[in-house]
Amino acid sequence: MIEVCGLTKRFGPVTAVDGLSFTVRPGQVTGFLGPNGAGKTTTLRIILGLDAPTTGRALVGGRPYQRIIRPLHEAGAMLDAGAVHPGRSARQHLRSIARSNGIGAARVGEVLVLTGLDAVAGRRAGGFSLGMKQRLGIAAALLGDPPVLMFDEPANGLDPEGIHWIRQLFRALAGEGRTVFVSSHLMSEMALTADHLIIIGRGRLIADTPVEEFVESRGRRDVLVRSPRAGDLAALLAAHGAAVTPEPGGGLAVTGLEAPAIADLAAARGLPVHELVPRHASLEDAYLDITGDATQYRAAAPAGEGAAAR
Amino acid sequence: MTAAAPPVLPGSTRPPSRTAPAAAVRARDLLASEWIKLWSVRSTYAALSIAAVLAVGLSALGTYLTAAAAAHPPHGSPPLPDALTLSFSGFPTAQLAVAVLGVLAFTAEQSTGLIRTTFVAVPRRRAVLAAKAATAGAVALAAGEVLAFASFFLTQAILSGHQRGLSLAHPGVAGAVLAGGFYLAVVALLGLGLGAALRSTAAAIAAAVALTYLIPEILSLLPSPWNGRIDRFLPLTAAQQLVSLHPRTDMFAPALSLLVVIGWAAAALAAACVVITRRDA
Repeated sequence: MIEVCGLTKRFGPVTAVDGLSFTVRPGQVTGFLGPNGAGKTTTLRIILGLDAPTTGRALVGGRPYQRIIRPLHEAGAMLDAGAVHPGRSARQHLRSIARSNGIGAARVGEVLVLTGLDAVAGRRAGGFSLGMKQRLGIAAALLGDPPVLMFDEPANGLDPEGIHWIRQLFRALAGEGRTVFVSSHLMSEMALTADHLIIIGRGRLIADTPVEEFVESRGRRDVLVRSPRAGDLAALLAAHGAAVTPEPGGGLAVTGLEAPAIADLAAARGLPVHELVPRHASLEDAYLDITGDATQYRAAAPAGEGAAAR
Repeated sequence: MTAAAPPVLPGSTRPPSRTAPAAAVRARDLLASEWIKLWSVRSTYAALSIAAVLAVGLSALGTYLTAAAAAHPPHGSPPLPDALTLSFSGFPTAQLAVAVLGVLAFTAEQSTGLIRTTFVAVPRRRAVLAAKAATAGAVALAAGEVLAFASFFLTQAILSGHQRGLSLAHPGVAGAVLAGGFYLAVVALLGLGLGAALRSTAAAIAAAVALTYLIPEILSLLPSPWNGRIDRFLPLTAAQQLVSLHPRTDMFAPALSLLVVIGWAAAALAAACVVITRRDA
């Protein structure tokens, strides 16, 4: 369990985290989402006692992190996969971390097997690919077999096979009753992994919701209809209470009527329908929708696509 | 990704440990962790090898050339310098390699971000710094004493060919040789403190070189007595008082010079303590 209460962090004039409060519960994967610069990493660093909050506090297992004795048994974290000495072997890297918390070489061997690094454990970490470094970071987080795990952008740099593996790992860790807190700036990644979402933008909480609820409440739905007599059909549907918007491709985007009702109305009036597609806004769209205003660094929209970018 | 895809969570992962282990992070474990770090990177071996070559090699070379020049004076007999000081003529250069060893003990972690992993594993940052000081200091002390005695015996063997060799039993000699080795340990701690306080390898090495090597050189250009008045507070000058058979009278006495030497390392480590606890990692 991770509890964050009224957390604020200012760096000079910049407020990186702004009155953030949330609770991360055990037994599920909680996605920590936000655009780049939203304050995710700063929040994780405060939780781990690396940065001092300006106000507010964070508790891990009911205690401030700095008060935890032998913290690797209470919480494991991967903040930056690149944080290895390039000249030190993977095994020695893990041994040095493990030993500081009284964890023996046997457990180092276990996490190396668990992360698929046992074959390369003697190699210098500087020669590792980003994917291998991610695995090494995850191995370090698992050393103390902790009930709370935190990962900052763990899927960055992983190949599709690695991403599949990491998803299964997080689900399995949560299935064992652990608290798994995973940050990402990609909704598509979290949609497949997380049970619960905490979404922040510009350091503020935007949403704290189960994934399904987020989809239901935020996901726009409509029906795409194509007809050679689009004008007549639009008037008919509008008369029955639907909102009809012409699509750039020539179809009609209809909300307020379900697909069967649209088909029945068209058939009763003898209007031909060439295409009838119920559409759900993706999680990604819903995410962009709510974080759009909170994006700190936004690329200029390519000409002509300004509206679609939202 | 060359590693084979591992099975997800084989039985090796136990259910989460619900109870915190009774014991806190122990000093012994922390020291062992730093010991592993120190000996698992090439820079440690490189720094110690370079220090060895410079300390013993340059001292022997300097002694040989000085003795040879004295044996065949071109005109008149130049006064031979302190025979004991000659044993340590390579140390002003060798100390730089030892300073780098101390600097890297901290900045190698700072520059890669590894220090955050370390502080997550051990939130008591001063304990981490103390463990680094203990391990780097112990290694530098052991290396320093070995090099001091090796350099002493080799240089005195060279001098004995000129009937000028000193025995270890000569009054004050054993203590001076021990002090020469001890000085290298102090330099390692000075480097560690500068590394942690300045949080940059380049800045810390530059500061260490300036403090232990360049500033004494520059000060020697100042007119007397100003050069000595400032110089006696510098670590290298104080150390030279410790390894002289006949310490200079215009500088601090050996006992006070020892305090000066220790004071520099203590000040650097104190500054490091403030920086690592006050600033975000």
